[in-house]
Amino acid sequence: MRGAAVVVGVGESTYYKRGGSPDTEFQLACTAIRRAVEDAGLTMADVDGFTSYMDRNEPVRLSAALGVGPLNFTAQTFGGGGNGAAAAVTLADAAISAGYAETIVVFRALAQGQFHRYGQAGRVRRARGAGAFTAPYGMLSAAQICAMQTMRYMHEHGITQDSLAEIVLAGFEHAQRNPRAIRYGTPLTREQYHASRWIAEPFHLYDCCPENDGAAAIVVTTRERARDLRKPPVAIVAGAHGLEHRGGVPAFADPTFPTAYHRHVGTKLWERAGCGPKDIQVAQFYENFTGPVLIAIAEMGFCEPGEVNDFVADGNIRWPDGGLPINTAGGNLGEAYIHGFGNVVEAVRQVRGESTCQVPDVELSLSVSGPGYAPGSAILFGKA
Amino acid sequence: MSVLPDDWALPALDARNERWFTSQSIAVQRCSGCATRQHPPEEICHRCGASSFDHDVLAPTGTVFSFTVAHYAVNRALADSVPYAVVLVSLDEDPAVRVVGNLPGVPCEDIRIGMAVEAYWEERTAEDGTVIHLPQWRLR
Repeated sequence: MRGAAVVVGVGESTYYKRGGSPDTEFQLACTAIRRAVEDAGLTMADVDGFTSYMDRNEPVRLSAALGVGPLNFTAQTFGGGGNGAAAAVTLADAAISAGYAETIVVFRALAQGQFHRYGQAGRVRRARGAGAFTAPYGMLSAAQICAMQTMRYMHEHGITQDSLAEIVLAGFEHAQRNPRAIRYGTPLTREQYHASRWIAEPFHLYDCCPENDGAAAIVVTTRERARDLRKPPVAIVAGAHGLEHRGGVPAFADPTFPTAYHRHVGTKLWERAGCGPKDIQVAQFYENFTGPVLIAIAEMGFCEPGEVNDFVADGNIRWPDGGLPINTAGGNLGEAYIHGFGNVVEAVRQVRGESTCQVPDVELSLSVSGPGYAPGSAILFGKA
Repeated sequence: MSVLPDDWALPALDARNERWFTSQSIAVQRCSGCATRQHPPEEICHRCGASSFDHDVLAPTGTVFSFTVAHYAVNRALADSVPYAVVLVSLDEDPAVRVVGNLPGVPCEDIRIGMAVEAYWEERTAEDGTVIHLPQWRLR
């Protein structure tokens, strides 16, 4: 596919545990955006668009505060929570490839200390729509929703609790090399994982993403504009965002259940990219919870569902010796939970050669967003 | 026996879900035009696009298709309710219809996928006086 757009800058705020940020969410957003634009060697006046997902920091306010402009394009994805992360990059790619904008910042800012906590649910007296069929029974949080998917998937394919642990242990191990990571300096053992309290079975505490404060951004521009910038551009090889037929039926009644909503995304991504899972050297898999990562690994075509236990075992998903190191900055579990945008930034870093768990000579670097919530999305970066 | 507090969320009744939550039967939405079944109910038929519906009353039996046990109270009002289990029941008469509920009679640690269950209805009264019958599940 390889459209006209390339990535030329990345930026992040400091990452904090929930409530630890001295800055507001809007200030965090501005910091990440400034750093990404500086990293690119551009100025705010060069930026003419923003894309994001589920973000409350509006481009109208951002562009005024940051001195961006003139503004040519803004967009957010619909629905799906964190799986908008990769999709927001495809929005920027589409807009730039079509000529609607030249330089778009894709960002996500999330301060759960300032705003509501994703791990909690408000009190609803009367539940409406599909929620009428779930909330009265106490099916309320993302953890519980993904637990329902995972429990069935584990049953059907013989997936073990130790395979869930592998996702956590990989993230924590990689975070030990990343000074930006919230879990830097606090490693986790398999015993600590298994001993941690249940949140929603089959998820222990460590299967669940933390609640954090921070922001991350990338800068996307045209190949022409990228020629004289600070660093070599990173290609957007292909992106995909969508659902199988009737995959959006709520309340676990969709015909694809149990799913991470990535079968269709995988098919489209590999078709557009002209390559397949065997060509990928490093991948970031959004971990809202560990279970959907295991499902997404299979749905993206890295192995059959019945092979998931073997695929994640024996260090295969860990840097430096694994066949497919995942979440090499620590991911949502080890680095920070910025609604998965850190996984997009890290995928770009792997192509640039700037990761703290750098895989040698990366040609293709994958980021899979938000499994467990419809619709899925994924983005493939590569050498420009 | 209710697993959640009596004043926890109840369904807001509407034209599509009223029969499900008041008739004490497994009344699944069926398109008046093409007889396609869909659950949860929607505002249009996914097959023919029609927007008028009847119901199919299915046998109130099924099997546990999946479940989770919630240990963490996501709202303070549930602090005394955890741990509680939420089950997903696949109906015997139409396994594509899956229904969320609780299985209060079975200790959380004993719940297994594949358990044979039957529906019963828990009567609740909303603050505006509306009487609702929530389908729930027990072993059969």
